[in-house]
Amino acid sequence: MRRPTLTVLVVLVGLVLIADLLVVNTAVDQLAGIVIDAAILVAAGAALAAVGSLGARRIADLWRRRGDPLAAGLVLGGMAAMLVAGLRPGSTGTADPAVQWLVAALLVPIGASLFGLLFISTLAAARRSLQSRSREGTLLVAAALVTTILLVPVTGGLGSWLAGGAEWLLAGPIGAVFRGLLIGVGLLTAVYAARTLLGLAVADD
Amino acid sequence: MTERARRLWRLAPVLLVIALAVAWQVPDVGWLDLASPDAEVAERMTAALDALGEEPRVLVGFDADIGTYAETRPTVRAMIADLLARDARLAFVSLTAEGRALASAELARLDRGEANPARLLDLGFIPGAEAGLVDLTRRIRVSYEGDHAFAREVEATGIGTFDAVLVIGGNDLGPRSWVEQVAPRIGEIPFIAVTPTVLLPEVQPYLGAGSLQAVLGTPRDGAAYRETLALGNLERLTDPIEPRPLPVLLGMLVAVAVLGQALGTRVLGELRAARSREPG
Repeated sequence: MRRPTLTVLVVLVGLVLIADLLVVNTAVDQLAGIVIDAAILVAAGAALAAVGSLGARRIADLWRRRGDPLAAGLVLGGMAAMLVAGLRPGSTGTADPAVQWLVAALLVPIGASLFGLLFISTLAAARRSLQSRSREGTLLVAAALVTTILLVPVTGGLGSWLAGGAEWLLAGPIGAVFRGLLIGVGLLTAVYAARTLLGLAVADD
Repeated sequence: MTERARRLWRLAPVLLVIALAVAWQVPDVGWLDLASPDAEVAERMTAALDALGEEPRVLVGFDADIGTYAETRPTVRAMIADLLARDARLAFVSLTAEGRALASAELARLDRGEANPARLLDLGFIPGAEAGLVDLTRRIRVSYEGDHAFAREVEATGIGTFDAVLVIGGNDLGPRSWVEQVAPRIGEIPFIAVTPTVLLPEVQPYLGAGSLQAVLGTPRDGAAYRETLALGNLERLTDPIEPRPLPVLLGMLVAVAVLGQALGTRVLGELRAARSREPG
C-alpha cells in the first residue's frame, strides 16, 4: 500500500536541503538545521532500538531455551559489561579506563580474529564457487589469483614489475568499472530524486 | 578426495596458523620488503602533508572498523605521530560506533604516550552517518575542561578552523562520504585518507579526480610512507613492531596455491569436456 505521507515528507525535506545548499538565507538555514538534527536523532534512536532489540531477542532465546544459549549469554554478558563500565556512577563514559580496556583488550582483538578467519572461509568459498561451475565464479577467482600474485611483497626488478602491474590493474580495468558504477549510481540517484520531488514516483516504491 | 587428504584439509587452518607463527619468528630476508617499491603514493602523501603549512589544524574523521583496523593501524598511528611532529592540532570525530570505540582507544594511547593534550581534541561521536557529516559542516559541539585554546577555536569557528581533513576509513564510512557530503559545503581544503585495501577501488576515482589529495590504501603504500618518517622523540607514538613480510608472503602463497589448484582443475575439466565433445 502506498503511503503519501512519506512522499510528502521526502519532497519537503529534499526541497529544504536543496534550497539551503543554493540560497544564503538565515531562515532556510535554520530550517535545514532542524531537518538535519531530526535525521540525526532518528538515526541515534534507530541504533539504540536495534541494540535493545538484539538484547531482548537474546533474553527471549534464553527464557524459551531456543537457539544457542552460550552465544546468547555471551552477547548479554558483553552488553552488560560495557553498560556497567560506561554508565556506573563515577564513570567517564567512553573515556573510562574500564571501557577502553574492554575495547582495546577484547573487542578489537576478537573482531580482528574473526576478520582473519575470513582468509580461510573466503578460500573455501572460492573453491566451492569453482566446483559449482559458474562462469562468474571462475572469473572472480581468476581475478583474485592475479591480484594476489601482483601484491606479493618481493623487492628488486620483479617487485617493481608486479607493483606496476597492480597499479595498472587498479587505475585501468578496476578503476574504469568503479568509475562507471559511481557515475551510474549518481545518475540514478539524481533521476530518482527528481522523480520523487516532482511527484512522479513515491518515496516508498 | 581420499580419507587422508580429507583429514589433511580439515587440519589445514591449524597448520597454517602454526606455519604463520614460525614465519613470524624467522629473521627478515633481503628479497622481501612490505614497502611498495614504487614510492609515488607515499611521496604524494608526504607532499600533501608538507603543503599544510605550520601548525596545521586537522580534522580527523576516525571511522575505522574493527575488522580491517589491523591492516591500517600501523599507518594510522604513524600518520598521527607525523602530524604531531609537524606541530599539528588534531580534532577527532567519529560517525560510526566502531570508529568511536577505536578512536577512544587511540586517544587513550596517545594520552599514555604523553602526547601534548593541548594539541588534541576529542569531538566524540555523531550519529546519523551522512546526516552527521552535514551537521558537522554547520556547527561543531565541543566539550572541554579548563583552558583549551584549540577547543575554543573550534567552538568559535566550526569547521572553518581546519586546514585539512584526514579520513581514517573503514567498511561502514570512508572518504567517499566525506568527499560527497562535506567537500561541497566547505571551502577548498585538502582531504587525505588512510583506508583498508577493500575501499581502494571506491576511493581511486576520487583520487584521480583530485577530490582527495592523497590516499594510503594498501599495506605496502603504508609501509613505504612509514619508511620515510623521521619522528625522533615521537617515535614512541607509532606501533612498536612493524608487520613482518614473511608471514604475509606465506599467507599469499597459500592463497595462490589453493586458488590456483582449484582454478587449474576447473580449466582442465573444461578442456577435457570440450575435447570429448569434438566430432570424431
